[in-house]
Formats: sequence, C-alpha cells, structure tokens
Amino acid sequence: MEKSLLKLDKGTTCTSWNYSGDRLASGSVDGTLAVFDSRHPASSSFACTSRTKVHEGSIVKIVWVPPEYGDAVACVCEDGTFSLWEELVEDSVPLQWKLCERFKSGSAKVLDVQFGVSPSSLKMVVASSNGYVKVYELMNPMELKNWQLQAEFQNVIDLVSPSSKALCSSASISWNPLRGEGQGSSFILGFSSDSPQLTSSKVWEYDQAHQRWLPVAELALPDDKGDWVYGVAWAPNIGRPYEVIAVATEKGISIWHLSLNVEVDGRLSVEKVASLSGHEGEVWQMEWDMSGMTLATTASDGSVKLWQSNLKGSWQEQATFVTT
Amino acid sequence: MPGATSDSAGGGALVPLSPETKRSPVYPLRHSVGPPVSPRVSVCWARGSSLRVSIFQQRPPPGGEGDAGGEVVEVKLNGGDGEISDAQWRRIAYGSMSPFAMLQSRRNSVSTLSRISPSPYHVDWWEFVMEYSKDINALLGGPESTPASVIEDPKTVVKKSEKPASLKAAWELMELFYVDKLSQAWLPERLVDWLADYDSLFSGSCATVHSKLVDFQNELINIQVIEDNPTYWEVIGSALAVGWLEIVVKLLHLHGSYQLDQLSSRETENGLVEAVAVLISKMPRMRLELGDGRLGECYKAKPDFIKAWEKWRSQITKLDCSAYWIQCHHLQTREGLKNLLQIMLGNTNSLSSATYHWLELYVSHFLYVRPFTVGLESMHGLAQKCIQLKPVPRSQKLMGLLLGILGENTEVVLAECSKEFGPWMVAHAIELMTAGSDEAESLLCEEQYNLGELSLQELHRLVYAQVLCSHAFTWQIAPVYLTSCMKQGMGLLEILLCKQPVQHNELLHKNLEICRLYELDDVSSHIMKIAGVHHWKHGRKGAGVFWLQQAQDEVRLHKIAQQLFASVGKSISDESFKQWEGLIELLGSESKTAGGLEFLHKYRDFKRSLKHIHDGKNIEAARQAVEYLMLNTSEKEEAELAILNVSI
Repeated sequence: MEKSLLKLDKGTTCTSWNYSGDRLASGSVDGTLAVFDSRHPASSSFACTSRTKVHEGSIVKIVWVPPEYGDAVACVCEDGTFSLWEELVEDSVPLQWKLCERFKSGSAKVLDVQFGVSPSSLKMVVASSNGYVKVYELMNPMELKNWQLQAEFQNVIDLVSPSSKALCSSASISWNPLRGEGQGSSFILGFSSDSPQLTSSKVWEYDQAHQRWLPVAELALPDDKGDWVYGVAWAPNIGRPYEVIAVATEKGISIWHLSLNVEVDGRLSVEKVASLSGHEGEVWQMEWDMSGMTLATTASDGSVKLWQSNLKGSWQEQATFVTT
Repeated sequence: MPGATSDSAGGGALVPLSPETKRSPVYPLRHSVGPPVSPRVSVCWARGSSLRVSIFQQRPPPGGEGDAGGEVVEVKLNGGDGEISDAQWRRIAYGSMSPFAMLQSRRNSVSTLSRISPSPYHVDWWEFVMEYSKDINALLGGPESTPASVIEDPKTVVKKSEKPASLKAAWELMELFYVDKLSQAWLPERLVDWLADYDSLFSGSCATVHSKLVDFQNELINIQVIEDNPTYWEVIGSALAVGWLEIVVKLLHLHGSYQLDQLSSRETENGLVEAVAVLISKMPRMRLELGDGRLGECYKAKPDFIKAWEKWRSQITKLDCSAYWIQCHHLQTREGLKNLLQIMLGNTNSLSSATYHWLELYVSHFLYVRPFTVGLESMHGLAQKCIQLKPVPRSQKLMGLLLGILGENTEVVLAECSKEFGPWMVAHAIELMTAGSDEAESLLCEEQYNLGELSLQELHRLVYAQVLCSHAFTWQIAPVYLTSCMKQGMGLLEILLCKQPVQHNELLHKNLEICRLYELDDVSSHIMKIAGVHHWKHGRKGAGVFWLQQAQDEVRLHKIAQQLFASVGKSISDESFKQWEGLIELLGSESKTAGGLEFLHKYRDFKRSLKHIHDGKNIEAARQAVEYLMLNTSEKEEAELAILNVSI
C-alpha cells in the first residue's frame, strides 16, 4: 500500500513539501538544508538537487514561502533564530540557494513562522517565546529581502495589561487558507505557556479601518483556557457556510466551527463540535486535506490518524497508521 | 471525506453500528529506516487523497551504519478495487467521463426546457439514464457469455471464460433495479439471467452450480457411462433449478440411450429422457423475450402465462404418473428424471437439495414456485426466507448490495457500493439511484447541514474527484465532476488547479486551458503569476516578464521596471545590455506601468545610437535622446549620472 519516495540524509530532523508536492525541503541537525526534486510531474522518483548550509545549529522547522513569491523557505533553528533562503539565478551565478534575510531573536526564541497571502502583499507571522507575535510585511514582491514590521502584539484578548514575563515553550500559527481577492486575511495562534491569557488559541483578523490586528474569536472553553496548545490547523473551505479549525491541546484534539457572520461586538461566534481522543501522547502535527474534510494528525506515540465527520456531524477516527 | 481506506461511507453512520463495535482499522507503514526510529513522524497531503509520511531516524547510530537518516513514504488512500488493475481502472475512469458529462448536460437542458415551457410531451428521463448506464457498462470488462453459448464440442457445456469482475455484476444489478423500466414487470426473470452470468463470482466463498458444472466438465472425459454417474444427475438437477435450460437439455442429450447402438434396446428409457427434455424446452417464462438459442416460451401477459403454466404443470404431472416409468430399468435414470420433474413441479425440498447458496435457491423459487412474484417487498420477503434456509458468508461483495436494493434501503446500498467498490462506483451509481427511486432521490439530493450544505450526490462526486486528483494521469478528468457540483465543486477545482506545478510548459498550458474552459480568470492569473516569478528568478527573464504580463500583474511588472531602471547608468556588458534591451521591448509592448518606461525607452535609444555615433548619421538621434533625458525632470539626476558615465 505504501510506496517509498525518497531516502533522507542522515541527521534529518524535519521536512516540508512545497505547494504542489514536487519539491521537498529537509533540515538536519547540522544546519543543512537539502532540497529534493522530482524529475517529472508524473514520476514519483525524487533526487536531491542541492545541499546548503544555512545555519550552525540544528534546524527544527522549515516553512515554504507561497509560490507566487518565489522558490523560498524559512528555516527556524533550535537557537530560536530563523532565516529566509531562496533558490535563485543571479547574474551569471548558476542556480543556488541564497540567503535573503536572517532574523535575530534578541532574548526571545522564535517558535513558529507562517506566511499568509493577502491581496496587497505577503505577510509573515512570527511567534516568539515571550508570548509576542510579530507580523511582517514584504515591501517588494520581487525580492524577499525587505520586510517591514507591521505589528507586534501579545496573544491576548485584553491588550491593556501585557504580561511581560511569559515563557512559552511552543507556538502554533495557521493562516486561513482562503485564496481570493477582497477578503481580509486572518490567522489563528495558540501557545504553550504558563500564562492562561496567552495560551488559548485566538483568531486574529486585520482591521483595515483602524490598521491593526484584532482578536475576533477565542477557541477555548472557559475551563480550558490555560490548556497548552500544541497545534492549530485551519481547514480549507470550499464553500461551507462556516470555517472549520482544529486545535490540539494537552486534552486532545478539538474541532471548532467558526461563523462567517460578524456579531455586534465585532467578534465571530464559535462552537466546539467535537473532542477527539485516540492519540496517546502529545499531538505534533495536524494537516487538512485539500477539500478540508479529512484531518491527518501525528503524535508522539508515533502514529498517524485520520479523522472525518459523518453525515450526522459526528467526528470519528477513520484509520491509524503505525510505523513498524 | 467518506471513502478513505477504512470501511463504509460517512464514518460508519450510514450503517448503524453500536459504538463499541466501531474501531478504526490499523495499518502498518513499512519503511526501511534503521532503528532507532524517531516517534515523531511528519505528514503532508499530496495530490488528492495521497498522504506522505516522513519517518526519521532518532540520532544516527554512532557507527554510522546505514545510509539513510529517514525515509518518505506515500500512501494512497482509496486504493482501488483489488480485482481491477491500475490500467483498467484508468480506462474506466477515462471512459466514464463522457457519459457522465453528457448526462449532466442533458439534465440541465431538460430542467431549462421544463422551466421555459411545460409541454405535454413528457421527457422520459429514464431513457437517458439507461443510455448512460449502457455506456458505462460497456467499459466494465468484456461481455460475459452465458454458460450455454455457441459451443462446437458437444461435451463442452460450460464455457471456461475469464471470470467477470464483480464491479460489472454490481453495475448491472443497479441498472436492473433502478433504471430498466422496461423490465420492471419481470424482474425475477432478469435476476435469473443475472445469476446465470455471475454465479461464478460466488465460487470463491462457497459451492455454486457453476463450480459444480465446471468440475463435472473436467471429469467428463473420463466417464464411460455417463448416466451411471450420480454427479451427472446432480448437476442436471442443479442447472435446471437455476434455469439454465440449454445446459440441461445438452446434458440430457449426452444420455447413453441416445447412442445409435443403444436406441433399439433402450427405447422406453430414451423416450422418457426425451419427454423430459421436451417439457423443459417448452417451459413457460414470464418475460418479454428470450435470446437466440434460449429455451422456453415467453408470455408477456399474466393471464396467458397462467394458462400456459397450468397446462405445462399438468403435462408434467401426467408424465410423472405415466406407466412407462415401471418399464425404465435403469435406476439412476428413473430417479434422476423423477427428480427433475419434482424440481419442475416446485418441490421445495428438491429445489433446496439442488441449489448451493441462497441466491440460487431464490431464483429457483421464481422459476418454479412463485413465477408471478412482483414488487420489491415480496421479493425481499422471499429473499429473507431463502437466506434462513441457506446462509452464505457475509463477506460476499454482491449479497449485501442486493439485499439493500431489495429492502429499498438507500443508505445500505450506498454503504455497500462505497465499501465494496469504491468512490467511482458511488459517484456514478448515484445517477442510477436518483432516476429509479423517489426515496433515493430525495435522500441523495437533500442538502445536509453537517456536510456544509452539500448533498450526498455532490459529496460523492467530490470524493471521487479527489481520488482522480491522486493520480498524475487522471487529475484532468476531475474538473468534469467538480463542475457538476454547484455548491463546493468550483472551490475544490480552484484549489486543485492552484496546486499544479508550473515548471513544465505542457502541464502549465493544460492547466490554463482548464481555467479558460471554466472561466476561472482569477485562478488563471494566479497560476501565471507563479510561473512568471518562477521563470524570472530562475534566470529566464523574458519568460518571466511574458507570464507576468499575461497575468496582468502590474505590481510585479512595475518592480521589474524599477529594477531595470536601476541598471541605467551602470556600466554593463554588451550581453547584459542586450538582455536589458530585450526586456524593455517586452515591457514596453503591453504594460501600462510607470511613466519610467518612456524614459527607459529613450535611454535605450540613446545607448544604441551612441554605439553608432561614429557613423555620423545618428548624432541627431543621440542629441534628441539626450535632450529628452535632460528635460524629464523626475529622472533628471539619474539621467545626468548616466550621461556622465557614458561620456567618460
């Protein structure tokens, strides 16, 4: 049933596929970025086309930049810094991966980086270990070099009293995958931290009128606000009258419906429709399929699970894969 | 999305199961990563419903053994029907696209017409569906000949042909019950025919009349006196019970009493055999017609049939009471023939002994006990009774489907189709179901809130489309199914198209063609943007500009123009200048970007004319260009620099 596509280099710690699934970027413990390509769209044989040393320390996460901005990745490293690398032909130099920008962390470590495309520009959201999130905007769509810091805020509803001494061990960001003109961009963000106000997952939306990011929904029940968030995933919406978002916390995976209609107070109403248990251990990763109807999750128990909703709206585990 | 590797559509809720019994299946993922394997695996969806799993090695072993630090494996969910090869599946997928598209377009025009003018002329929708069904049926494996086909060798009673796929059997069953309006009155007889074609499919899980016949045929060469062999009479009885009259008569004609040297001494015996054979060949059948070479007499109208039936039965009874039996000295012949008469008289014990699984018993009841059974309810009741008498392992693919159809249970039919035959079957068979049953239509076309206001009909088309997307050779068929879904099909189509790679021109053009066909301009320009940026950054600047122009991406083109502008005043090689020139040409032809382009054009002209300055002719042109450059205030400083640079 399974088919081997490629073998990874020794010391590989993470992988990430590009938007079309024909390029794989892998990061290793010695800071090497290796990129694998398929020879032909129809073939399923992959070969390594480049290896570039991007960092001194281990790479923990790789995120591809949206393709309309080039073949580029963000590499997040263990030491909490991250850098942007792009595959370019420059002047007479042949094709290679070049550094576009290195982002220093300061005292806080970068925990997650995600890109979102809005009609006007490319945005990059960076969540750090001090509970702050920075939103950068790309100034020139043809060059991944100049990023302007558009906003910096904490993942809290009440922005009046920032908690300065928060320490977060992990963060998870997921942009609304909606691709269309005239739509505001929004993302969901959650942390694992000792401060409950920071931790719970919130949906942030950009308010054009006031030029700032506002929290429009909180995806946590009152009793669960302090639960550590391990992952969030916004499902593609192909025409549903509501959004579907998965949130993984220490208590398990929950599925939320987010209304598309704005209430009087500017917020969006949410409803928790399912609690999925089944994984033993911390959930690492959650991915929605292209139609937004099947959720694949991985956890520290080494298994991959698939979840779907049935006709009655009840979410159930459909299959489990375990590595032998 | 219903239809993943595990069983049943809709997560098991379509076939009600108690929660305790519901456990999801566990599949092992084989890989070649040496231990210790990290428990942390990474997943990514690729192409439709394929899942890619990255498996890592936890801290490479100190000795540096083994080459790989990990592996990426791909799992295709909805992995197809085990019976059908990949190539055949592709052929079916390609072939079923047109009939499906045709049916949808007919549906649209019919509904448009009926809105415009409700005419008295009633469109027989089922005829269109029947055509659709026949077109698809033709794709599902070669025509299966009935066991009694044209055979040269008198000793070959059962043709050893290729085993048919159960998919075809299932499709025909659906067509039979849901679409074929002409045959509704004689469904039982149609079922008899169906079993004749597909009895061999059940041979895997239990004994069947077909398998017994095949075995007997193999032994036939070794048998000297056929009528002494008890198996001979058994198989004749079985074949008769399920209505394979031609085989029965053929077998009877193998009886020793027909041999020329035996005729005189076994006249009575032969007479009896022949009498039975004749009776069999004249059996009244409640049906429209029989194919060529088929035995029996057809009656369309019930009164005529009943009259003929009663007459026939009285003839059998008369034969049964005949004095000739005493004169028949061959014991096996006498008993064998008598058994055949019992079967024809509808003796349930004889029927039960002659058949092997409930379906065979079922059809034998239609033939000999209740030939005028009509209506699904009574058919369903009879089926239940037969199952009680002769249970069959439930793992048989077609049984569950048939029971669902007889029970008029749409949910069960859907679940069985999905579980046993996969998304292709469900997506295409739903068309048959909505045509044939009002209840099915209302269930399948109703919008379900829990599915995001999709109907089941649309949902299954989306599921199937996603399966098509999983394979590189079939993704282009997906748009046909996606565009038939009013609600969410277009959304999924857009996502599908945006995920296609742009590096290869063929694929890119195919992709853009689909966008054009379905008027997806936004998607088109998005794809062209990606292509433009890709080419630009990979050194193919001309192609890059071309695609960005096609995409009408003013922002990026403006940035490019600015970049070109920046090289004004810099001393660059002739090669680069040529490229720069070329790009200006390209940009200038269509783009409405910054006024800076005018300047760039002039600068280019200036540079060109400088080259030919020694000719003397172009001094005027050069001077004009310089004048323009000087006058153009916004870029004045750059112009000065440039001119200074050049003059130095």
